[in-house]
Amino acid sequence: MPLRTILIDDEQPARDIVKHYLKDFSEIEILGEFTDGFSGLKAIQEMKPDLVFLDVQMPKLTGLELLDLLDQPPLIIFSTAYDQYAIKAFEMNAIDYLLKPYSKERFTQAVLKALAQAGSGDRLSAPVQNLVKTLEENPEFLQRIAVKSRHKVSVVPIDEIIYLEAEGDYVMIYTKDAKHLKEKTMKYFETHLDPGQFIRIHRSYIVNAKFIDRIEYYDKENYAVLTKNGAKLRASTSGYKILKQALNM
Amino acid sequence: MQHPVFLNTRSVSVYFGLWALIAGVHFSIYYFFYFIPIEVSMADSLVFNFLFCGVGISMWYIVRYTIPDQKNIWNVVFNHIAFLTLAQVVWIGLSYTILSTVFRSNKVYIDLLVISIPFKIIVGIIFYAVIALTYYLFIYYINLQEKVKVESRLREVLKETELNMLKSQINPHFLFNSLNSISSLTITNPDKARDMVIKLSDFLRYSVSHNATSFTTLEKEMANISRYLEIEKVRFGDKLIFSFNFEGTCRSHQIPVMLLQPLFENAIKHGVYESTEPVSIAMDCEYKEGYLEISIVNDFDPNAHARKGTGIGLNNIRERLRLLYKNDKLIRTVVEGNRFSVFLSLPNTENKKV
Repeated sequence: MPLRTILIDDEQPARDIVKHYLKDFSEIEILGEFTDGFSGLKAIQEMKPDLVFLDVQMPKLTGLELLDLLDQPPLIIFSTAYDQYAIKAFEMNAIDYLLKPYSKERFTQAVLKALAQAGSGDRLSAPVQNLVKTLEENPEFLQRIAVKSRHKVSVVPIDEIIYLEAEGDYVMIYTKDAKHLKEKTMKYFETHLDPGQFIRIHRSYIVNAKFIDRIEYYDKENYAVLTKNGAKLRASTSGYKILKQALNM
Repeated sequence: MQHPVFLNTRSVSVYFGLWALIAGVHFSIYYFFYFIPIEVSMADSLVFNFLFCGVGISMWYIVRYTIPDQKNIWNVVFNHIAFLTLAQVVWIGLSYTILSTVFRSNKVYIDLLVISIPFKIIVGIIFYAVIALTYYLFIYYINLQEKVKVESRLREVLKETELNMLKSQINPHFLFNSLNSISSLTITNPDKARDMVIKLSDFLRYSVSHNATSFTTLEKEMANISRYLEIEKVRFGDKLIFSFNFEGTCRSHQIPVMLLQPLFENAIKHGVYESTEPVSIAMDCEYKEGYLEISIVNDFDPNAHARKGTGIGLNNIRERLRLLYKNDKLIRTVVEGNRFSVFLSLPNTENKKV
């Protein structure tokens, strides 16, 4: 059975060379090629390929953001020209990646490795799963969050987030006109959102200071934050302290 | 600038110490040479020298605000003659009045006082000249120090700018992706690969062969930017559309080398890299009232919310304009919907060399 493969890269010549090199591999069948993160993600979800050639820097969603949205990632061969952070993450997790421009030998080596892995039936490649964890440790603050619902992927700019609420193993992200469920922890968002703007007021809430309307008593001892869209979020004692500090009250 | 006499306790003691010395010499000549009674010699010396000591201090304010240059030399001479005359009248007049009142009964001394007036005038002129020259020396020394400081700071900034230029020229993303495209083209289209190698070489050669203070013609700069955009077009195909529209008179105008390049790089980075739709980059240039008015407008996807740039590119350009034209208000940016515009107005600098 051939290895069903798709290519995701925004540059035509970069896809051409992959296609050319793959001509020598009769065991690989190319299902299609895609030029940005959104269409690539959709293709992976619909076609369920065995192998994906994935570029890191792309419009809409980067290769790494795309990976984060996959529940069961297929085998992936990453490629990048120059992305220090991605390269570090690949190396930490022993993930094979192609540094552009690459030789035919180097390419063949990567494909043979993937074929061997596919033959052993190890579809859920452990290194790729670990890579997601490493990416979570990126100390940079987020600018956008990629979320998916059943049919759609969208990108939420962090400036549009009103607040986040813990929902079991997930976090619900509330914006003005929608809410999105994201499989991440509150701790993750607490460390990856600018603490000057996003304040953890409670075990279950992180609020965007920009959307705070007012603060009032929740009961005798506790306070509540009212957001501009009318939500009432309870603040814990320590959360209220952090809030006061952040707002210079 | 601070008064040089009152800089610190040392300068104060030096000034007054010198006057004490002059007063001592004056007293000695009167007492030991002319045999004038001790109290009269002392009073004469004290009054004349103490008063000029005061005149000397006030002279600073004249010197401070009459700095000679090529244009106002007569003005300066006139100012000094006028103040010298005034100073002499006050100095001699006041001293004479005080001393002739105190020693009105001493006829011999009063005669000497009158006879010594022309001599006092000569001494006054010498004092005045020496003090004025000292003050001017002080001012030039301070200005020189300041100039050295400013120049070393300028050199530092220039170095930084050059380093930043070098960094932005050898943009690794651009370089490695272009090399990957070339690698691909050697298989699919060798002629185009060769063409791209030549363009990339020419582009890199142009980038490294200039420094932050060189000027070139707009035509040459645009030829290099065309090379850059054509390389990017090989990578991105129809996703990148660009157009240049400039008056013929603009072509020969001098502009700083590689000034516009980072602006096109930004347009590609924030426009083409982040968009799935075609992005157009348009440059217009016209010459108006002594200024080269350049605009660079590009589309971008406002929903991309990609990582914000560091702004280093734009700040770097602003800094260079400030260094080269002594003006940092020559560049301005406008964001309007899905359109980003940069406007530059560069003063006409025919054959400018820095």
